Amino acid sequence: MDPTTVMYVSQGLQGLAYGMILFLIASGLNIIFGMMGILNMAHAAFFMLGAYICYQIVAMTGSFWLGFLFAPIVTAALGVLMQQLFLRKAHVLGHFGELILTMGIASVIVAAIKKFWGTQNLPLSMPDSLNGMVSIVGISYPAYRLFVIGLALVVLVLMMLLLYRTRLGKIVRAAVSDREMVNALGININLVFMLVFGGGIWLAGLAGVAIAPILTVFPGLADQVGMDAFIVVVTGGFGSLVGAFIVSIIFGLLSSYGVQFLSNFAPVLMVCFMAIVLVIRPNGLFGVKE
Amino acid sequence: MKWLNKRIFVIGLGLLVLSLLMGISVDSQAAPKSDWAKPNAAMDINDIPDMSDFDPNHPAVLQGDTIKIAVVAPFSGPASINGQIDYISIQWAAHVINKKGGLFVDGKKKMVEVIKADNQSSPDGTKKVCERMVLREKVHVLMGTQGSHLMKIINQTAEKYNVIAANFGANSDELQDATNFNRNAFQMTQSVSQLGRGLAYYYGKIRKKEKKFYIICQDYSFGRGLAAAFKQGLKEYYPEAEIVGEDYHRLFLTDFAPFLIKIKASGAEVIYTGDWVPDANNLLKQTRQQGITLPFANIYMDEPVGLNEVGVEGTEGLVNISQYGAENPAFKTEADIRNNKMWNDMWKNKWKAPYNAALYEWPLGTIGSYIEQTYWLLSVIERAKSTDPEKIIKVWEGDVYKFGNRKTVKMRACDHKVIQDFHVYESVRPDKQKVSMNIPPYYWSKERSAAGPVHVIPAEAVLPWMDPKLDRCKGKNGWGE
Amino acid sequence: MNMINKKANIVLWLMLIVFLAFFPKLFGIYYTNMVVTFAIFSVFATSLNMLMGYTGLLSFGHAMFFGFGGYGTALALKHIEGLGIFPAIGFGMLAAVVLALVLTPIMVRVTGTAFAMLNMAFAQLMYVLALKLYTITGGEDGIANFPIPGIFTESLRNSSDHFYYLAMIILGLCMWLMWFFTKTPFGQIQVGIRDNAKRVDYLGYKVPQSKAVVYILSAAFAGIAGSFYGLFHNMVSADGSLGMGMSFMPIIMIMIGGIGSFLGPMTGVAIFQLIDEFILRYTESSELVMGATLILVVVFMPMGFMGLFSMLKSKWKARFTGNAKMEKAS
Repeated sequence: MDPTTVMYVSQGLQGLAYGMILFLIASGLNIIFGMMGILNMAHAAFFMLGAYICYQIVAMTGSFWLGFLFAPIVTAALGVLMQQLFLRKAHVLGHFGELILTMGIASVIVAAIKKFWGTQNLPLSMPDSLNGMVSIVGISYPAYRLFVIGLALVVLVLMMLLLYRTRLGKIVRAAVSDREMVNALGININLVFMLVFGGGIWLAGLAGVAIAPILTVFPGLADQVGMDAFIVVVTGGFGSLVGAFIVSIIFGLLSSYGVQFLSNFAPVLMVCFMAIVLVIRPNGLFGVKE
Repeated sequence: MKWLNKRIFVIGLGLLVLSLLMGISVDSQAAPKSDWAKPNAAMDINDIPDMSDFDPNHPAVLQGDTIKIAVVAPFSGPASINGQIDYISIQWAAHVINKKGGLFVDGKKKMVEVIKADNQSSPDGTKKVCERMVLREKVHVLMGTQGSHLMKIINQTAEKYNVIAANFGANSDELQDATNFNRNAFQMTQSVSQLGRGLAYYYGKIRKKEKKFYIICQDYSFGRGLAAAFKQGLKEYYPEAEIVGEDYHRLFLTDFAPFLIKIKASGAEVIYTGDWVPDANNLLKQTRQQGITLPFANIYMDEPVGLNEVGVEGTEGLVNISQYGAENPAFKTEADIRNNKMWNDMWKNKWKAPYNAALYEWPLGTIGSYIEQTYWLLSVIERAKSTDPEKIIKVWEGDVYKFGNRKTVKMRACDHKVIQDFHVYESVRPDKQKVSMNIPPYYWSKERSAAGPVHVIPAEAVLPWMDPKLDRCKGKNGWGE
Repeated sequence: MNMINKKANIVLWLMLIVFLAFFPKLFGIYYTNMVVTFAIFSVFATSLNMLMGYTGLLSFGHAMFFGFGGYGTALALKHIEGLGIFPAIGFGMLAAVVLALVLTPIMVRVTGTAFAMLNMAFAQLMYVLALKLYTITGGEDGIANFPIPGIFTESLRNSSDHFYYLAMIILGLCMWLMWFFTKTPFGQIQVGIRDNAKRVDYLGYKVPQSKAVVYILSAAFAGIAGSFYGLFHNMVSADGSLGMGMSFMPIIMIMIGGIGSFLGPMTGVAIFQLIDEFILRYTESSELVMGATLILVVVFMPMGFMGLFSMLKSKWKARFTGNAKMEKAS
């Protein structure tokens, strides 16, 4: 393949990978807002927490995979704790109260991270098994990025299966449309929402662990990705996993080819796309009207 | 017995010749000395007192009449690490002066008091804290900070309330231009134009090897300025060079891959970047992850944790320009060794978080630069014998000073910018780092490539940009004469 | 009783005006600047409250009007020589209003989350554009050190006092106008829209047009606040005036102060400033304090400080009327 074609195809592959990264980050946010109507401003903070906890586990045990397995769980546990202690009380004021509360919690998490781990950069490398290049259609490609793509696909499939093929999923979907009824049927509504929230935060933690090896683990990590996740969810439509997935891919490709052809105007492309989509479909591309 | 004496004599003579040769080779590493001025004052490193009571987390509490200096920097928020670096450097210099008895100003001996002023990385916060420092704490000097847009506010406040603004960390050439210049503000630190041109000079006049450069910088005035300076420098000093690509990315970018694909396809031999952490680390990391082994010509790719993560091979060949610089070796005399070891020992054994992180291991590099600049400021105040801004301005304009690391700096009188040599170092593997790290264990780190050979960029090649619209500078040359 | 109340009110207002007039002389530059900041953010937060508390429309992007106000004024002063201070502020307001006019057709068709998100999207767009079009806007560094004309003097830059008076008069005027607005029949309709838009529609009032008017007015006042902010710092920048933080700040202040009450936002601003001063002096963990404050307010004081205040007031009143009844009885 001649170099120019290689370049264009690489950009395409690259765009897909970045899209998957975006999807991983955004999926948790999407689920929580779509299912519970809570705009979780602390999502990026939990993302960062997942990365830090993974660093800690790696520092203590030397194994990335242990971190990969347990860091999201620990993060989810902390998220559920936060929800039980504070978020439920905020229900009085509705969405607005939840918004402000999660903003406060985000600040507290960041402060706690700085207190516990300090302000300097922390090293988090990918496992040696994934550290290398593979050859796809004659193009050299980092193995780890393939791993991330795979992970995102697995997450999507898992979530869809969980929601649409299991009894638990049915209960969750029912609870979302009609709380009282499900409650009346004797199902513990609080438990259901706790699971949903925990699941969303688990995804945030997972994203943090998966993406940290590509980035630097430092206290500004949350700010770095927070806006991106938000834009994806907003454009894709709250509550639609498929929407988030498709929009993530679109953003990924826009970003890659934007850089290729428009260089530093690429970020404008993304925001313009978001604005245009919202003007035509105010609830997002695949959003469901409230 | 005679033949033994003869052997001893021959061996002795051989050793003598050998040592002379080595002495010469060490010297030839040393730069041609710039003798564009004789220093009015110098930092005497033989005179550094015992600093073993220095603890940045518990600074000494000073009583009475002091010379008050505010460090306006981010002490909270995501950039708080900058505030920490700033504070320990400035406080160290102040503590040295205090332990020697303080400075004789306004008729008596006064200690130097360093006050933290959190600017919360915002223009609002900067203005508020500066006013508080001036109006309530009655500071004499406002020292600042990374972020030229914030430094502008510090400079403005200093002019308004007639105190001195000393810039140790903001590099924009704009700060001292016609719109923004004021007499109370002094830029002690490097400026963007010098950095870009300096690296171009290195590649064109000293190294003379690679010809194809790819420029990737952050998309804001600082990054654009650095790119422009490099391009200009190439025109001046390396016309045969070719720029095979030029890109600007947004700050705090998550994914560099689209840019890296372009770089791969461009045939570049060197990547020039002005990125700072975390972009610098992420750029390096992701470049190596994509299998690209090109060296980086950089300014801020010197954060130890990020470099260690990439490892010895990935960091070999990085070229860094710095204003701290000194020629090799890093520890030239006993005094150097003693002073630096004092810091290093305390870092190892005494200081607690956050100052026990890898970043603070040696008082060299950025930290060293801030320390030296603070010594300069204090020396100016000492020679002015006063905290009156007019007297300080009189001494500082045109002042020539010699840093502790033997570098000479000159404050250009007409626009308050600094004329100085720059130094470029190549990163080499640990077994080759001895030329720089000349005390045991003879390497800076086993986990990364670090400073090896150092080259001098003479001051005349990188005179700071002078705004032609600035009236004070009309008709003057680059030296300010 | 009413006459005495009225007279007491007038006296109180006069005392307040005199106090404010002598404030700079009494308290010095530092506190004077605090009051100016208070005034600027009060207008900004109250302008958002016009949308939120009264019309029920939450916007995540109000900073775009604030920022447009600032940039409008800064650019006008930078490029038009000899521009006076009032036209400069006018330019700022105009810029914000024009933006609002452009966005109104889109904004009136949506409510709820979609409205919030759309505003955020456009605010983000403005932010990115401000960064990218750096030849006009100065990018990250923004526009600084532009000339500030004076009214009686050469430049307001040299006279903190004059700036203070100008700010108090104009911003005070803004506050009064906004308060007046809520008392008009039109203003009352806004509350109606918040509570039940459909019914207001059935009653014959045109909901979209009403929303449009409020949206534009809200933008205009935010623009004036932003204009003053730029003048006050002699600087406007993307992060400083157009960032997400600036969009969230008035929301937080309204929350702390209390939604739905007119004085709520102002109270929130005041408390926020007090907390800020506290943070500045005593701690480096600004995030911890801010975060904890937000959590506490939401969990324990969902109606904000004004809510707390009115609750206390009604308890106090109850006790008094209770006492009066008892006195009468006995």
